[in-house]
Amino acid sequence: MRVAYVGRRCVVFLVIVWLAATLNFFLPKLSGQDPVRTKLLEQASLGGYVQGGIEDMVKVYQKQFGLDKPLWRQYLTYLSNVSRGDFNYSIANYPRTVAGMIAEAAPWTIGLLGTTTLFSFVLGTVLGALLAWPGAPAWMRWLMPPLWALHAIPFFLLGLILMYLLAFQFQLLPIFGGYSAGAHPALTFGFVLDVFRHAILPALSIILVSIGGWALAMRGMMVTTMGEDYVTFAEAKGLRSATIFTRYCMRNAILPQTTGLALALGQILSGAVLVEVIFGYPGIGSLLFQAIEENDFFLIQGIVFTVIVALGFTTFLLDVVYPLLDPRISYRRT
Amino acid sequence: MAQQTMRPGTGRRVLIQGGIAAAAAVMLPPGIGASEAEAAEIARNRTLVLIGINSRDGRWVDHGLWNPYAIGANHQNGPNLMYEPLAYYSAFADKMYMWLAESFQYTPDFKQLTIKTRPGITWSDGQPFSAEDVAYTFNTLRDLGPKVKWGIDVHQALDHAAVTDPNTVVLTFKIPSPRFFFFAAYKYDIGIYMVPKHIYQGQDWASFPHFDIAKGWPVTTGPWKVTESSLQQKVFERRDSWWAAEHKLAPMPQVLRNIWLPMVGEQETAQAQITNQSDFGGPLQPATFPTVIRQNPKITTYSGQQPPWGYVDWWPISLYVNTEVKPFDEPDVRWALSHYVDRQQIIQVAYLGAETISTLPMPPYKPLLPYFAAVKDLLAKYNTIEFNPKKGDALLAAKGFKKKGAMWEGPDGKPFTIDIIGFGAAGSAMGPVLSAMLKRHGVAASMSLPPDFDERFQKGEFVGSIYGHGGSIREPYDTLRLYQGKSIAVPGAHLVNFSRWHNPEYDKIVDEVYITDPHNVAKLKDLFRAAMEIWLPALPDIQLVQNYHRLPYNLTNWKNYPTDHNSYINSASWHLTFNLVLWNLQPVQT
Amino acid sequence: MLGYLRRNVSLLVGVVLLTILVLFMVVGAFVVDTANAQPLSAPALQAPSWAYPFGTDRQGRDLLAVMVAGTPLTLRIGFIAGFIGVGVGAVLAFTAAFYRGMVDAVIRGIADVGLTVPGLLVLIIIAVSLKGSLTVNQMAIVVASLAWLNPTRTIRAQVLTLRERGYVEIARLNGMSGPEIIFRELMPNLLPYLAATLVSSVSAAILASVGLAVLGLGPVEAPTLGMTLYWVNFNAAIINGWWWWWTAPLVVIVMVFLGLFFLTVGLDEVANPRLRRTA
Repeated sequence: MRVAYVGRRCVVFLVIVWLAATLNFFLPKLSGQDPVRTKLLEQASLGGYVQGGIEDMVKVYQKQFGLDKPLWRQYLTYLSNVSRGDFNYSIANYPRTVAGMIAEAAPWTIGLLGTTTLFSFVLGTVLGALLAWPGAPAWMRWLMPPLWALHAIPFFLLGLILMYLLAFQFQLLPIFGGYSAGAHPALTFGFVLDVFRHAILPALSIILVSIGGWALAMRGMMVTTMGEDYVTFAEAKGLRSATIFTRYCMRNAILPQTTGLALALGQILSGAVLVEVIFGYPGIGSLLFQAIEENDFFLIQGIVFTVIVALGFTTFLLDVVYPLLDPRISYRRT
Repeated sequence: MAQQTMRPGTGRRVLIQGGIAAAAAVMLPPGIGASEAEAAEIARNRTLVLIGINSRDGRWVDHGLWNPYAIGANHQNGPNLMYEPLAYYSAFADKMYMWLAESFQYTPDFKQLTIKTRPGITWSDGQPFSAEDVAYTFNTLRDLGPKVKWGIDVHQALDHAAVTDPNTVVLTFKIPSPRFFFFAAYKYDIGIYMVPKHIYQGQDWASFPHFDIAKGWPVTTGPWKVTESSLQQKVFERRDSWWAAEHKLAPMPQVLRNIWLPMVGEQETAQAQITNQSDFGGPLQPATFPTVIRQNPKITTYSGQQPPWGYVDWWPISLYVNTEVKPFDEPDVRWALSHYVDRQQIIQVAYLGAETISTLPMPPYKPLLPYFAAVKDLLAKYNTIEFNPKKGDALLAAKGFKKKGAMWEGPDGKPFTIDIIGFGAAGSAMGPVLSAMLKRHGVAASMSLPPDFDERFQKGEFVGSIYGHGGSIREPYDTLRLYQGKSIAVPGAHLVNFSRWHNPEYDKIVDEVYITDPHNVAKLKDLFRAAMEIWLPALPDIQLVQNYHRLPYNLTNWKNYPTDHNSYINSASWHLTFNLVLWNLQPVQT
Repeated sequence: MLGYLRRNVSLLVGVVLLTILVLFMVVGAFVVDTANAQPLSAPALQAPSWAYPFGTDRQGRDLLAVMVAGTPLTLRIGFIAGFIGVGVGAVLAFTAAFYRGMVDAVIRGIADVGLTVPGLLVLIIIAVSLKGSLTVNQMAIVVASLAWLNPTRTIRAQVLTLRERGYVEIARLNGMSGPEIIFRELMPNLLPYLAATLVSSVSAAILASVGLAVLGLGPVEAPTLGMTLYWVNFNAAIINGWWWWWTAPLVVIVMVFLGLFFLTVGLDEVANPRLRRTA
């Protein structure tokens, strides 16, 4: 039964990837813009000299990128390329490849977002649980309003304020970038420390903003769970309140929270666009922003596809793990 | 305090972050650069750190591209330092600096151009530079045509380039081309990058990266070598020998290392200046300079520590209206709009006074002043900067427009509306002010900053647009040509014609300007006047303000930047002439 | 009622905060001329004074007028998108979770696929393809087009847990129909959760609209809080010391979120009386 269940989820995963890839192919096309022309015109504008013959250049490059072919041919080529992990060249940065650009940006984002997300998830969940628990110390109640207020501030605005205070007024931390000017990337203590110091401010703005969200969601779930009869029953049985808290309430309340985590990854990436842009952090978020600005179809598609596969895979894993966490949902088809 | 309760958590995150930082460091792409030891030798006060443009999102995506002809590359992002031209031209000093070329000579019919190259120049890999490289560069551009930058311009004009001796190349043109050498010289953003034949031969110019630090690529004739190029920074170090210093054409640069950081935003740029993390640029807005200078008195600008905090760029900014759209096909309607624009108020509000008005669509540079003088009486009659709402009202009323309440209605009874699009700093700074101003005078204006601005503007899918453009800097042809609808002198020419205005008489005059010797100022003045006699009454675009480059200079480490007392060149780091600034910089600390 | 509010401090604080905002908007609309939210209405860059209590910005907008005009605009985006999101999401989630099978697979599939695409990307592309300037209502619809995905997914997961409960089994055995079970048994139990989802949807929608505006994709001429922040960022108001420029929108945004937050906390206590003993 388990094999069949996992197999079925596997198929669902593949369908999701295909659907998403298809959506991903057609959505940018909806804007009806021509990335090659946009790129060439933008360069011309920046140069202050609008060269004659841009239209000729546009034609040459549309041909080179296969954009002069009918849409269905482009789609088939796209699918076959993507299945081989080939995302083509970046239109705006030709001859750089999309795969190369993603590979370059990914470690920064995985490092920054992965850490901050996990950290704020864990801390926020625990806080949220404590907040709903009558046995929690009284001062904890006062922690929530400021956290939720912080949650209300857009990432980037908090980022700018932190930047102003910590990097500028007190000069404790660097202002922007992934590492210092003149530092040479090498695996030395000094360089790693430098990278780390540059990561603090963006990390702090993400963590301070997200904790409140996790805490609120967890608190909502806890309130529901604590209204359950089995909790009343456990209380009546005289179980230790800590046991009820962790075994009965948290374990049940954490389920939707976990689902939330897998889903949040997509949203976090959206939020990261702004944080990375504000701090000049060289990750996937700012790469995506730039690709959108430059109308670079292939780069947008490459990034989004990579994200889709990563998130689809996480969801798939979660589907497989979910029944382990919640015995009420079985592997059986109900 | 909340901060104190946070501290243990922060500590743990610090550890986790450290691990990730290490992971990130390991995963960085290989081939990034020199060793730590080598890097440590150059002192900060011999290093020029600057913030470049074209990298708003804080990254150099093109860091692997050092061939400026590659389609994703842009000379503004560093290649402008590396590849040298036949000549440099400074519009501020009105001076031509012959460079790889020693001299040039046109035939009287401008159908042939002989260029003598300087002997004794070597590429950075030791190979000699010769007329072969020049001919190769031009002939390949002609062959590639629309596939690479400048290809179309060369293709239109050039028949072939032939080497007659190691230092002589003869260019034969298809059509008279009296401006070809000037076109190829470096000024602002226009010029032909000379490339080494022995490296480029057999490569696809559109995709050849020309980058490999181990091999010493890019190979150029300039004084710099690229020692690191990554998302985060581009690092140039001075080479030990440079032909131009040996020829006593220029001093050996005192800048030993030049670091180009990508630009993030206004606040980040300002903070980098204040904290001395950057020595130069990128552009700031007028309102930010007092803040920066108050906090770091070492910061100054082209105009000193006072407005306008910079110099006039070659891009006057206009309000374009699409003259193919009713009612903007009426010159009087365009004039009415012009009379509704209070340019002084725009300058006060959008630029806090740090701006100047533009009367014609070209900058008031010294070589161009005679042309402004030639049309002085015309400008008095057709005052392109006159703010006079009553005149505007009269013009509209005469065309059958009527006021309904506070707002105008067209002769067809529909409200008089204008949707204005804009982009970048000028669009954001001026757009809402301009739109509010027009509304006050009864024109239902609206303003937006669409992301596909360039495409809409070029395709004519707009009604109004705030836009600036490069044009003339030395003589009027380049600006005149921007309004040309059709050209016979340049067959197959693609004309930009932003306002989509057409006038056959005007076109004829511009064609005549094209075949006129650019040094024949007397004749050019007459032709310019004749053209303006048609242009001014029609007013294809409405003049607004000059474009300023407002770049902070930090005097902590370097001095002798160009200023209005020492105006040897414009200082934009992205222009092709930035090398002139680098040769002139002197260290402050000994 | 008042006596109850006194015991339920959270509800009181939430109601008070939101009432202040509503009063500000309503009274402001009568007292303040919102035409002054346009540029050139006041001298530029005035610090707060009697004449301009919130100060003015660089292009001569009276920030008090901007807040009076912009707060309802921003809330409108948030509430339109939030209600559409939770409404559509809840219907889909109940349908999916209750009927399972193909219906569930399809709804879940769509939500999954939709969620894997980073939202801001889709919003940006939609915003870009709507040529011309985006109006406030268009902005709300753009944001709403994705706002139902997350509620669908999370509410469904929640219903799935509840569905296995004894009382639902009993109701089913008693011959209650699907919709009856949904409305009479499931809905009341999910109310606090739905309220929390609504709060986060409204705030997410406001944040999304602010994000789009800050990227320069907002309605340039509408004085929304997002556009105000765009100008703050564009002009580097923070380091230039024009504190009043960013304080006003920041305070309003924080008040909106805090108000909504305390409202849910208070509502939780109403829905779940067990919590009252510690409140």
